[in-house]
Amino acid sequence: MTINTVTVVGASGNMGAYVSGIFASFGRATVFMVSRSKNAKMVDRAVSSVRCDSIRPRLIPMDYSELAECVSKSDLVFESVAEDFDTKASVNSIVAANLNPKTIMVTGSSGLSLTKLASLLPSDARQRYFGMHMFSPPYSMPLCEVVRTSYVSECLISDTCRYLKSKLFRSVVIVKDSPAFLANRIGFQFINRALQYAEKYKDRGGVDYVDAILGTFTGRAMTPCRTADFVGLDVHKPIVDNLFQNTNDDFHESFVLPEYVDALIEKGLLGRKTGGGLFKQDNLANGTKRSFVYDIEQESFREMRNYTFDFAVSMKKHLHEGDYGLAFAALLESDSEEARICMEFLKGYVDYSVFVAKEVCERIEDVDDAMAQGFNWCPPLALSNMLFGTNYNTKYDYRSFFKVGE
Amino acid sequence: MNMVHILGGAQTDFERNWTKEGKNLVAILKEVVHDGFEESDFSFEELGSLSKKDAIGCFIGNFIAEKYINQGHIGSFLTEVDDSFYGVPSARYEAACASGSVALDAAIMSIESGRYDVAIVVGIELMKSVNSRVCGDILGCAADYEKEVTKDSVQPPFPQLFGKLADAILEKYPALESKRFMDSLAMISVKNYANAKRNPMAQTRKWYMDFEQASCRGSSTNPLVGGRLAVSDCSQITDGAALVVLCSDRFAKKRCLPVDIVVKGWGHRTAPLLFDSKISDNAGSQYVLPWTRQTILDAYRRSGLSLYDIDVFETHDCFTSSEYAAISAFGITPPGKEYEAIESGVVAFGGSKPINPSGGLIGCGHPVGATGVRMFLDLFKQVSGVAGGYQVDNAKNAMMLNIGGSATSNYAFIVGRNMF
Repeated sequence: MTINTVTVVGASGNMGAYVSGIFASFGRATVFMVSRSKNAKMVDRAVSSVRCDSIRPRLIPMDYSELAECVSKSDLVFESVAEDFDTKASVNSIVAANLNPKTIMVTGSSGLSLTKLASLLPSDARQRYFGMHMFSPPYSMPLCEVVRTSYVSECLISDTCRYLKSKLFRSVVIVKDSPAFLANRIGFQFINRALQYAEKYKDRGGVDYVDAILGTFTGRAMTPCRTADFVGLDVHKPIVDNLFQNTNDDFHESFVLPEYVDALIEKGLLGRKTGGGLFKQDNLANGTKRSFVYDIEQESFREMRNYTFDFAVSMKKHLHEGDYGLAFAALLESDSEEARICMEFLKGYVDYSVFVAKEVCERIEDVDDAMAQGFNWCPPLALSNMLFGTNYNTKYDYRSFFKVGE
Repeated sequence: MNMVHILGGAQTDFERNWTKEGKNLVAILKEVVHDGFEESDFSFEELGSLSKKDAIGCFIGNFIAEKYINQGHIGSFLTEVDDSFYGVPSARYEAACASGSVALDAAIMSIESGRYDVAIVVGIELMKSVNSRVCGDILGCAADYEKEVTKDSVQPPFPQLFGKLADAILEKYPALESKRFMDSLAMISVKNYANAKRNPMAQTRKWYMDFEQASCRGSSTNPLVGGRLAVSDCSQITDGAALVVLCSDRFAKKRCLPVDIVVKGWGHRTAPLLFDSKISDNAGSQYVLPWTRQTILDAYRRSGLSLYDIDVFETHDCFTSSEYAAISAFGITPPGKEYEAIESGVVAFGGSKPINPSGGLIGCGHPVGATGVRMFLDLFKQVSGVAGGYQVDNAKNAMMLNIGGSATSNYAFIVGRNMF
């Protein structure tokens, strides 16, 4: 597969700019960056995302009036507009109308039904339309989910996977067209469960209580509520709503968005990008910072609490010294309520990952690629082998994922 | 004299930042010892029984943990890894960025002399504990700090010294055009980044580099760091450790090794410490770094091998200018013609004399005290055919060059399949 020219539609968004940077750097492609206005800032963003000025001449800002022309000159069109069915469908109709016979048309959608989107396309375009879901930021998160529909040939999918692996250095998993696909379905289920538990245990502190139980010492770079705050509650909500509406299995209730999260969204408290959400930071006049957390019970922000759970203290101490076995023994052997909650989450993560992998991907091992390369979380099969003594096939070393944290 | 056999070894993932993970010196040692023993099929029980016979020693290469993690006496830390190390002789060896090699040298001597049956060699450095400015200043201790480190300079000391090496190469070979030389340096950088993509333990395996980027020195994403050299010419500081297990003929025979890998030759020369003295000293030589060349010649002589026999090289590309000078030091080209091997692809991954298939210090990363041992481990992997994605086809003999300071401490080793 030769991809010399790419059109990225919606290139002024973060992912649009980042993906442009990936195609222009590793792919050495000329990229038409299409957005509402020819804004040079999106080129800067693409350049800085791959830390490489040399790609600048290959990044060409365009606006929507030039979309048809860009598409007609491209080998691949990557749609990265807002995660909204109608918006994507209307962009698709322009793209499809100007598509060359061999041009591939992909979407960066994180979980809409591609089969439904494809059904609106003319039949020749439909056969060349599929998902290419990358994770943010793709320079450090190499996961790429290739989402296939029944209209697309095996040959096109395998050629594309080869291109993504050998040229763009992506870690590729092929997934079924299903709500939120693979990594987000597992990741956001875990995060939403954490948000639900924050409500359940709001009398004990809620958000920071749950995050203290599921700290970085449990195999992740960032705690779950902190992650929701980082990606934005307005981004979290449609993902879990989509999963709630379009899945129907034993895990269905884990996608109910807690009311307090809806209330925060209503108030515009979406997370880090709005200066406050589940957490808030105040910069004091003396140059220091104070961290606050949203107290669900009080419906207001309060200072973060310094929880000291014995099992967590012990795990951190052992991880600091590289004694992983002792760290996990401290978790398994603790009879505290918090250790029980922690184990429930880790076991739930493994169980749900295995369940989803069987439903969504070709090989169960793909789920480890998904969570390690897309979320930087300890891959579930590697976690299960270490914590529960299973014997799953995995290429991952669990050790680097367990961080002592604060 | 005993032949020295290599049982195996391991390195940590050089992408990891142990400070960010909140893990200490003991933690990284535990991982590299665990993995290195497993890869060498060597156990703590064997360690204990060899210790009872006073037949094992440990050799730890580390440059300057005192500054990075406020810790000395690194040799004693293996006793914190496992109590099988109680009583086992162990000490730290230092020669700046060649610390790993001086530990290897001492270990090899201990086997050759018959003192020990097994020698454990570890190289280790934790550098991410400080910011890059402080890190650069600490590395200045590998030069004459009083005379060669300019306080308050915007550029850290070592990039300046290797920038001066680039200048010295151009001065030494007046026929060498500056553009051709700088393009060659850019091609070295691109090659080593590309090679790192095949190495799952390389620090820069996810990073991007191309010739245009390596050539646009002075841009916002590729600022100048030392004279004419930019970030793309520079190796990466990181955290890391590597371990190899060496043994005597007697121990190797008991193992019935499927592929017997041995140390075939070595060289060790110390050049004048001050960079300016080093360059004045080369006046009577065709080589810009004559003591580096002599180190290589010593290793060839001791091994009875020549360039013709060497299938793969690992060299000390702390900067692109040091890899450039190594090409003629290895004998791949005459001095002054190094660019020919770069332009023709001789030193590329598929070339006839590949250099740094691991990615080298630029691609794989440069935790300074670990680097010599990491290179030695990569030679072992290549000649035993277990280098995975960066395996050079049918490699039988491999050579490494590890330098400390501004090519002051020079170490070379040749490792290969035992044909007898």
